[in-house]
Amino acid sequence: MWTRMNDFNRMLDAMDRLRSNLNRVYLDYDRSYGDEFGWRTQNGFPRTNLSESGDSFQLIAEVPGLTKDDLNIRIQGNYLELSGTRKSDAPKDYKAQRVERDTASFTRSFTLPSEVDADKIEAVLQDGLLSLSLPKAEAAKPKQISIS
Amino acid sequence: MNETNELATRKENMLEKRVELPKIAPAVDIFENEDEILLHADMPGVTRENVTVNVDNGKLEISGIRNLQKKGNSTWQEFTDVEYRRVFAVPQTIVVSKVHAELKEGVLKLHLPKAEESKPRTIKISQL
Repeated sequence: MWTRMNDFNRMLDAMDRLRSNLNRVYLDYDRSYGDEFGWRTQNGFPRTNLSESGDSFQLIAEVPGLTKDDLNIRIQGNYLELSGTRKSDAPKDYKAQRVERDTASFTRSFTLPSEVDADKIEAVLQDGLLSLSLPKAEAAKPKQISIS
Repeated sequence: MNETNELATRKENMLEKRVELPKIAPAVDIFENEDEILLHADMPGVTRENVTVNVDNGKLEISGIRNLQKKGNSTWQEFTDVEYRRVFAVPQTIVVSKVHAELKEGVLKLHLPKAEESKPRTIKISQL
C-alpha cells in the first residue's frame, strides 16, 4: 500500500513540475503587462519579504525606479504603512514602442508580528530594493531565563 | 554563428551554473527616436556586476541575476533570487560598438544608437 502511495505522490510531483515548466514556456514566449511577474503583485502592491531574527525584523520591498522622495514609511506600534508613487521615466521626444512598466501610486500596510521601536528603524534604498531594519520593542524582545 | 555552435555554447553556459535560478522576464519600456532606441527594464535587487547585455546577430539578450542577502527566519516571502532574462530582436542597423547601458535604482537603461546610414533622410525635389 505504501509503495502505491509513493508512486501516486511521485506522479503528482511530476505533474507539478510539468506545470511549472509550462508556465516558464509561456513566459519565454511573451509577456504582457499587468500580469503577476512585474514588480508588483496582482493587487498593485510591491512585493515584500519579511524575516525575523532574535530582536529585529527585516522587511525588503521591490521598488524599482523609485527614489527616496517617492517613498513614504509610517509606523505605529506594530502597524507599518508603506506608500509611494512611481513616476514615468519616459524621455521627451521619443516615441513609445512598448510600455509595460506601470506608473501609479500604491499603499500597502502590514501588521508586524510584534511591536517595534519606532525611533530605531533604519531604512535603506539600494538597487531598487527598500530594506527596513525594525528593532523589536523592549517588551517584545526575547529574554534569557536562567534555571535555578 | 551557426545553429549547432549556438547550441554548444548554450550547453557550456548551463554547466557553469551551480543552481538553476527561476527565470523571469523583466517588464520593459521601449522608446525610439531618429537617433536611437532606448530600453528600460525593471530589475530590482540586481547589482551592476551581475548584469550582462549581449548583442549578437540581430538578437539582444539582457540578463541580470539577483542575490538577496538573507537574515534570520523568513516570516513571509513574496520574491526570491531570480535571473531576469529576456531576448529581443533588434534591427541590424544598430551600432553594436556604441551600445551603452546604465543601471540605476534597479532599472537597466540601454541606449542602442542607430547607424548614420539608416536614419531617415529628406530628399529634395530638384527643379528642372
